[in-house]
Amino acid sequence: MGAAPAALKVAFVDKGGAGKSALAGTVCRQLARRGHRVLALDVDTMPGLAVSLGMPPEGARLPAGLAERVEGKGWQVVKGARPAQLVDRYAAWAADGVRVLELGKLPGQVEPSVTVAFRHVMERFRRPGWTLVADLAAGTRQAMFGWAHFARIIVVVADPSAKSALTTRRLLPVATHLVANKVGCASDLEAITAAVPLQLLGAIPYDEALAEAERRGLAPIDFAPDSPAMIATEELVSRLIREAS
Amino acid sequence: MKIAVIGKGGSGKTTVAGVLARCLARAGREVVALDCDANPNLGISLGVGLDMTEQLAGIRQSLEDGGVEHAPTPEELLSRFGAPAPDGVRLAVVTKIDQPNPG
Repeated sequence: MGAAPAALKVAFVDKGGAGKSALAGTVCRQLARRGHRVLALDVDTMPGLAVSLGMPPEGARLPAGLAERVEGKGWQVVKGARPAQLVDRYAAWAADGVRVLELGKLPGQVEPSVTVAFRHVMERFRRPGWTLVADLAAGTRQAMFGWAHFARIIVVVADPSAKSALTTRRLLPVATHLVANKVGCASDLEAITAAVPLQLLGAIPYDEALAEAERRGLAPIDFAPDSPAMIATEELVSRLIREAS
Repeated sequence: MKIAVIGKGGSGKTTVAGVLARCLARAGREVVALDCDANPNLGISLGVGLDMTEQLAGIRQSLEDGGVEHAPTPEELLSRFGAPAPDGVRLAVVTKIDQPNPG
């Protein structure tokens, strides 16, 4: 029995469709299998991390009414519950012992600003030994407005498209590391890394098994545990752990 | 006509919007393509290229920086901030978030 692994604080961001949720979900599960106590935070106003973790699409919903709009103060969590209480009471259980909170959406609320009420969970949840992995909304808005401030490692996930390259360049002021995803050939990897002066944490091959997992709404790690993309993600997780220590 | 294209990230909104704009222009319509995504990439799908797309300023940011006293008309905004795209499409970026917000 070794000591508990050092905690990580990681945020994932991308253009949208580059695969950050599938990657974040897989990283959470793999970290948990290595002994980490993982809190997965879906901050996306279009939540999807639960599926990538192997849960039903609505498996991590917070109860309706947990936040309310206070005159002059915007959205606030009712009765000012502390982050640790919110985690203990409302974080759902995913496979491998991963806990998950969906902070980007409340049932019955269409306003994306409701997310603000839960921002303190990320920033003030400091229980020793807990690893935090956040899946941010696609694009630049949340990242530029400080939603990843809690994280020591902010990973931008890029695929070989020109749109992804442009988004990745815009995210340079806030991102700390790069993951190349859906890499089909060596020139894909070159295209992704050429214009991005960030440390490359991993290159995940394009993998039809992952596309099939997405079609079926299953976690990649459950649907295709031995696929090349899952093996490459294992290497990425090893590098994440080294980076954090 | 006025068309909005929405959908999940990565499902192809921008590509569909770009193709729609170009096809309508080729059919003889006057087309304004408005990129309403704060991470605007529509220029790439319209065919203006990555560099030009990167250089386009957001109307909102330009107005805030420029200290405009009263709201210009939509026509003024388009002539000031619209960029030419192939087939005569006019492209404008509504808002662009590409710098960390200190607030």
